[in-house]
Amino acid sequence: MKLLLTAAMSVVFLAAASSPGSAAGDAVFEAKGCGACHYTDGPAKEKTIDDQLAKKGPELWYAGSKFQKAWLAEWLADPQPIRPMKFNNLTEENPGDHPKLAGDDAAAVTDFLMTLTSADVEAGKVKPKKNPKGRQIFIKKMPCSGCHQYTGRKKKISGGRSGPSLVDAGLRLNPDWILAYLQKPKVFKPVKMMPVFVGLLSDKDMKNVARHVASFKPKK
Amino acid sequence: MKKLIKISVLAVLASTFVMAPATASETEKVFKFYCAQCHGLTGKGDGPNVTKDFPVSPRNFTSAAEMDKLTDADLKNVILDGGPSVSKSPMMPPWGKTLTPEQVDGLVKHLRVLCKCKGKQG
Repeated sequence: MKLLLTAAMSVVFLAAASSPGSAAGDAVFEAKGCGACHYTDGPAKEKTIDDQLAKKGPELWYAGSKFQKAWLAEWLADPQPIRPMKFNNLTEENPGDHPKLAGDDAAAVTDFLMTLTSADVEAGKVKPKKNPKGRQIFIKKMPCSGCHQYTGRKKKISGGRSGPSLVDAGLRLNPDWILAYLQKPKVFKPVKMMPVFVGLLSDKDMKNVARHVASFKPKK
Repeated sequence: MKKLIKISVLAVLASTFVMAPATASETEKVFKFYCAQCHGLTGKGDGPNVTKDFPVSPRNFTSAAEMDKLTDADLKNVILDGGPSVSKSPMMPPWGKTLTPEQVDGLVKHLRVLCKCKGKQG
């Protein structure tokens, strides 16, 4: 019986992983030339600063573990800048010129990208909620806010501009990915402008930060 | 004997590789990639993170007057352990887990090039 259940679940999983939507999305991804700026075959390829700087856009080989599906579909149809500065650039503002996809294409590419997952992201580890300890680390103990924008008191956007904005990041990012990214930076981005916090923050504090960042949602 | 020579050559090559100091151009690349976010590409403390809300003024590395107050060991400690290690702002991150020892030593030298100063002798 157990074997039967496992087999049935595998069939469901395989069907989901290679659904018509994701195959169509893969084709749209290729036809639109998305691969010119984003690579989708992991693991991470960058070994040097030059490798990182040669990239025109973020790697997407773990997009399905990183993003939330609803956000991704909406963003692909109407992309708004996530980074204040142009990718890999400290002097030019983000021109906000990411190509838009029409509704059906956006949905198909979303299906495709959501199949790209990383086994290094463990599901169910982080429950997003306000976390005073995580907030303290984010704003005061560590320099997170020095490079990342966030919504502070009275809905004021504060923080630095060299990293991706974390305003409403709770809608965009999978909370479990935030933790995995802090714990295993070399897996996802071996060469990046953000400091490595492994050995500086405990696993518990990384979880606190992940919870805090995942709680960034539009304020009512 | 041949084997011994081979091993010696490999050992010398390995130690050269591991201990090789970062070149000036490599170090400049490291500076522009990591440090310039706050300190600016030319080290004047005017990186893109420094908005009017930024809680501190990142050090201007071209100011010999300021940089002469610090020894090379001070600079190395701040790079490795961050601002709080010298009672400065946590906005200066600890880079000790990110950069190699060679990159850190290279950065200290690069800062002395930027300030055109030798620093406090410790």
